[in-house]
Amino acid sequence: MISLPSMDDDDIPELIEERLETLPTETEPVTEKVPVTIVTGFLGSGKTTLLNYILTEQHGKRIAVILNEFGESSGIEKPISIGVEGELFEEWLELSNGCLCCSIVDKGVKAIENLMQKKGKFDYILLETTGLADPGPIASMFWLDEALCSDIYLDGIVTLVDAKHILQYIAETTKDHSINEATRQIATADRIIINKTDLVTPLELDTIERQLRSINATAEIRQTQRSRVPLDFILDIHAFDINVHSQTLTASDEKPDHPHLDENVRTVCLVLPHPSINISVMEEWIQRLLWDKTIPNTTSNIVVLRLKGILTPEDSPLTRIIVQGVQELYDFQYAKANAGDKVTEDKLVLIGRNLDRQLLKNSLWQWMGWQLSDI
Amino acid sequence: MNSEQKCTGIACGNPARLQCPTCLKNGISGSYFCTQECFKKNWATHKPIHDKGNTYIPKYNYTGSLRAVYPLSPRRPVPPHIIRPDYADDFTGQPKSEQSVRNSTTIKVLNEEEIEGMRTVCKLAREVLDIAAAAIKPGVTTDELDRIVHEATIERDSYPSPLNYYGFPKSVCTSVNEGKFEARVFLAAGRHLLNQFHLSSVICHGIPDQRELQDGDIVNVDVTLYHNGFHGDLNEIYPVGNIDEDSKRLLRTAKECLDKAIEHVKPGFLYRNLGAIIEKTAKENNCSVVSSYCGHGIHRLFHCAPSVPHYKKNKAVGIMKPGHVFTIEPMINLGTWKDQLWPDNWTAVTVDGKRSAQFEHTLLVTETGVEVLTARANEKRIYP
Repeated sequence: MISLPSMDDDDIPELIEERLETLPTETEPVTEKVPVTIVTGFLGSGKTTLLNYILTEQHGKRIAVILNEFGESSGIEKPISIGVEGELFEEWLELSNGCLCCSIVDKGVKAIENLMQKKGKFDYILLETTGLADPGPIASMFWLDEALCSDIYLDGIVTLVDAKHILQYIAETTKDHSINEATRQIATADRIIINKTDLVTPLELDTIERQLRSINATAEIRQTQRSRVPLDFILDIHAFDINVHSQTLTASDEKPDHPHLDENVRTVCLVLPHPSINISVMEEWIQRLLWDKTIPNTTSNIVVLRLKGILTPEDSPLTRIIVQGVQELYDFQYAKANAGDKVTEDKLVLIGRNLDRQLLKNSLWQWMGWQLSDI
Repeated sequence: MNSEQKCTGIACGNPARLQCPTCLKNGISGSYFCTQECFKKNWATHKPIHDKGNTYIPKYNYTGSLRAVYPLSPRRPVPPHIIRPDYADDFTGQPKSEQSVRNSTTIKVLNEEEIEGMRTVCKLAREVLDIAAAAIKPGVTTDELDRIVHEATIERDSYPSPLNYYGFPKSVCTSVNEGKFEARVFLAAGRHLLNQFHLSSVICHGIPDQRELQDGDIVNVDVTLYHNGFHGDLNEIYPVGNIDEDSKRLLRTAKECLDKAIEHVKPGFLYRNLGAIIEKTAKENNCSVVSSYCGHGIHRLFHCAPSVPHYKKNKAVGIMKPGHVFTIEPMINLGTWKDQLWPDNWTAVTVDGKRSAQFEHTLLVTETGVEVLTARANEKRIYP
């Protein structure tokens, strides 16, 4: 038996009508997703200067900066800085100690989503990695499937390098002969900022830029001092969107001949016969390449850090497929060709190690059943 | 789908667009009433919600009337002769061995000996689940199910894998979907009156507690054993007493989703393509698929590569090869696919309170198809 307390109707307030905009709806609310940019760079490259500059600049945006050791979540709270119109706030990002098991969304991503629920949405999120971080796994974490309907999306990866030391960092060998972190940061980047250019000669600067381009021919590069770059160079670049094609196409197929087995990380661009691509066959080749880490039907072990491409399916000449890949993850996004689209060639751009152009080409052409004279 | 708010007045449930101003001011959401009249009638029970003394309780918008019934029973001991996984004795239950390969997408190919190890532990896990299932009836607490699972596991020289995994306090996950409103929520005057007319549904990772199962509930029991260095994982959803037609359809659909996915498992099949099969089956039966939790590789580690999403259009890495062992465990909902987490950081519930059901098997990819390592006695074990 449930007994209720006796009635007492003094001071019962008047109910108020629900405001229409607060009506929760079952249909997906049309909300803008919040972009996330990953900022990498070695200690001394000017990351903190860049972030402070972005935070204090008058841009009218609510920008959250998330610092440090992200991804090594071990159930403790992490401080984050939020910059709103020049003012800085400290917040705690609550990383729940709960279940990671079979949870698709990384704890850190969830924590950011929860924080936004509590504190209102940010306009932009900048994720500063530790100096030695490999941006690949962090990018994978934020490169979320559409079906998850997350509030955030990966906009791009920005890498800062210190002009004075970068060539030395790139040349360093690791104990286990894996690719060193400086090279990974450059290879994975969508934008590269060569900072502290006042500390080197113009000739040295030229060498640096050429070296960086040979590693990553698809990233846009800018030279600067004191981390000053236009914000639109690094924010809202949509590097993982279907709008990426023009950028992808800037990587040229003309490369000086490299030694047969190239241990260095570099960019290889394969220009493909157009428009005669059997997409599912091509996809299998990409899977073998990324997941088995060998050039299909060869014994050549490779590492792919980044993959981009634009493909035209043989059965649908007005469709463009944008290929994106970070380490083992890849995605095909379908787009309609623009009316004035002059693209007459399809391309696949690979950034990684042991990428022998001729071997790759032979493998792919054989896989696809193309004649090598097709191009 | 119905997006209207319901009046929280006792035994009312009419559509409601009016809200209590005090609650709004204090950031308490969900206190809707149909009319001032109804509000007045319910004032005595509504008012305590505003009590300042209650504000230490975290503001959490529960999706329905279900609450954990504390206190949890004391932690059950595991005798020292039983082989334990690395997290068993870690202060916060961190599985170091899993974390060291956390970013790896490499899927282990098990050798014959390891496959035998998996066959053994999966068979034991099936026995334990069946023993727990036989005890399910109205009036039994989920803590009692935990005791049964714990003891049956130890009798089989095994460690209950959930215990202390990232600090999980119990030996099994029990996820209850309420069949009826709970009287005790009415009795617990205060903020808990909110949402009293909605049922709640736990999707997964529910913590066994003192709540008694009731006629009309459905409950998922998720058992994992660790035996001789290998984990074996399975779960099933069970009706408690009599359940309604919608629940029956949900249970059938959840099983069908798992079975259809299993049919496709064979060397060369892409892990990323399982989700489309599951989603199609769910849609055909007017159900949705939870996206936050996925199947996983399992062997010497409890959770590892591959990651097996249950929704279509995912970027999962890997091609099935003989010797791969993994789980498929689609969580299927009657309403929205969206989930949220209780403040205990474990219990995942549907945001609309509608029901959710799940079945799980541990699977071995064979040369020609798949062996269902955790199959029931009367279930198909070898495909094709």
